Amino acid sequence: MMPGYGARQHGEERRPRRARAGRWLAGVLLAAAGSAAATIAPTRASAERPSQSDVEAAYLYNFGRFVSWPSAGSQGPMTICVAGQESFAQELSSLVSGEKIRGQLIQVKRVWRPGAADGCAILFVGHDVPYLSGYLTATRGKPVLTVGDAPDFLRQGGIIQFLLQGDHVRFSVNLVAANQNRLKLSSELLKVAVSVAGHPAGGGVR
Amino acid sequence: MKLSSSSISTRLMWMNLIVSGVVLVLAVLAFFFYDLVSFRDNLVRSLETSAQIVGANSVSAVVFNDPQSATTTLEALRNSPDVEAAVLRSDGTNFAVYRRPGVHALPAEKALPKGANDETWVTGQRVLLAHRIVFDGKPIGTVYIAARLRETSKRARQYLAIAGIILLLCMLAGFAISATARRTVAQPIIALAETAHRVSRERDYAVRAEPPPDNDEIAVLVNAFNEMLVQIQERDSALNRARDELEQRVEERTAALQAANRELEAFSYTVAHDLRGPLDAVQGMVYILENLESEGKRGERQEILQNLRQSTSGMAGLIDDLLNLSRASTVELRHDRVNLAEIVRHIAEDLKRSEPERKVEFVIYSPPEVEADEGLIRVAMDNLIRNAWKYTSRHETACIEFGAKRVQGETRYFVRDDGAGFDPELTRRLFEPFQRLHSRSEFPGTGIGLATVQRILERHGGRIWAEGAVEKGATFWFTLREAAGERVH
Repeated sequence: MMPGYGARQHGEERRPRRARAGRWLAGVLLAAAGSAAATIAPTRASAERPSQSDVEAAYLYNFGRFVSWPSAGSQGPMTICVAGQESFAQELSSLVSGEKIRGQLIQVKRVWRPGAADGCAILFVGHDVPYLSGYLTATRGKPVLTVGDAPDFLRQGGIIQFLLQGDHVRFSVNLVAANQNRLKLSSELLKVAVSVAGHPAGGGVR
Repeated sequence: MKLSSSSISTRLMWMNLIVSGVVLVLAVLAFFFYDLVSFRDNLVRSLETSAQIVGANSVSAVVFNDPQSATTTLEALRNSPDVEAAVLRSDGTNFAVYRRPGVHALPAEKALPKGANDETWVTGQRVLLAHRIVFDGKPIGTVYIAARLRETSKRARQYLAIAGIILLLCMLAGFAISATARRTVAQPIIALAETAHRVSRERDYAVRAEPPPDNDEIAVLVNAFNEMLVQIQERDSALNRARDELEQRVEERTAALQAANRELEAFSYTVAHDLRGPLDAVQGMVYILENLESEGKRGERQEILQNLRQSTSGMAGLIDDLLNLSRASTVELRHDRVNLAEIVRHIAEDLKRSEPERKVEFVIYSPPEVEADEGLIRVAMDNLIRNAWKYTSRHETACIEFGAKRVQGETRYFVRDDGAGFDPELTRRLFEPFQRLHSRSEFPGTGIGLATVQRILERHGGRIWAEGAVEKGATFWFTLREAAGERVH
């Protein structure tokens, strides 16, 4: 059944080592990311399975497709900001460069202080960032999707938190925080979330 | 209905059953195949819908690599029996699979052609549908959904059951209809057959088959049958009548023959006796004559010869009369124009000449000429007139009439005298041969004259009868067969 897919063939061409990343990554991540996957720069050339940060980068990009912002329709590029985790930012930017979400070009921006996160559509706060609460406070009430992998990210007011279940990267959602930031999360997204706290605006999910 | 009656109604019933059965089978087949086709179409459509729903609901599961969620989505198909489904990643590996025990609808391999987003495969026992999951314009996987057409055989069984039930109902209806048909169609035929059976068994042609109320072919048949019975009955009774008539005629003839036989016996006895008498006298007188020869007494001999002549002439007269009687019976009839009055006049003149001393007045009317055998009629009239002459001989004067009367469309001739007459109670014996109402000494005669007259008149198609009383005279009436145009006015 359709053993060859365009994205993967690109990967084989240009990043032969990516081909060994495993069939499921190609099927899930790369297919999801489309031809953009070709530009992903592998951090562990020898990895048989995609790394956690690979998966998280792909998820971050995909979140953008299941969330709607109040300022939808603006013509400017969609900015994904990354605080901390330098390598993750590089990986992400190589993954999404040239990709579009709802016609908006995606750009990746590094931020180092909470005040710089104002124009971000998505803000990833790495677990190595010491001022997590500062970032969350600074973006509260603003249309910013905050994503993090700190264990208490949701409790501190973040919207989506990555977590590991066995080998798999999963995520949980805090709808209260999403509502505060006037973001609408697709029910499809909530469906695959491990847990959902609070209620979405205007109705229940699941 | 003991006759082999059930066969017609049974056949009618079977006809009903066969017709309705054939119609039913054809209808069930048609409906079954229509249903099969439309069932497949519906199944394909519903599978398409299911595939699209599953595809749409599996997007996030595929994107976020959550097979559990996709499986949950697939499990929503559990209400559709015999349906299996799978979501495959874009590289063809299984992402989520939903199988049912014992269905095996999903094939091991089936490739969606490049470029196509939907594809349907229908094989004999299976419908397989592929639907590509597209998200943001990019294909991210494929939904496979398959159904085994086990429903088909189930439906066939259902149809068979329904057909069976309807056939049963048809059979009941067939019984009801055949009961009706039995009344309207079979019953009259059965009744007819019964009647025919009865007719042939009892030979009773008086029975009639009941005509049915409707004016149909059966009624025609029944009426024709009844008509036939009427004809048979008529022929039968005609045959019986003819037989009875024949028997009666045989009896009559036998009686007549017996009477004739008796008459003949009496006749021959009388003839023998009457001839014997004068013959004895002749023998006696011849003996006397032989003895007289020697003594030679002339006067006595003369007297004896006189007596001898009388005896022999008496015998000759008797023989003449017998010859007349015989001739009257046997001679061939001639057809002459005869004037009866003329004949009577001649006889009267003869009689007057032979006994001129008697005072007898003849009154002779002149009826028209008749057609008859002149010789025989002359003998008859001679007998009648001489009879009248003889029986008036004891009276001083006498009157003898001859004439005719028109009575009840026939001409009746009569000869009337005012002589000795006869006892009316003995009228019948008048015309029997050798029957005398008077002693021979009173009125001489052979006793066969009137019998001869009767024979002659009967041969002329007529009859004779007599009226009279003792000493009041006698009237003999007679008729003749009339030729056309002979009328007395």
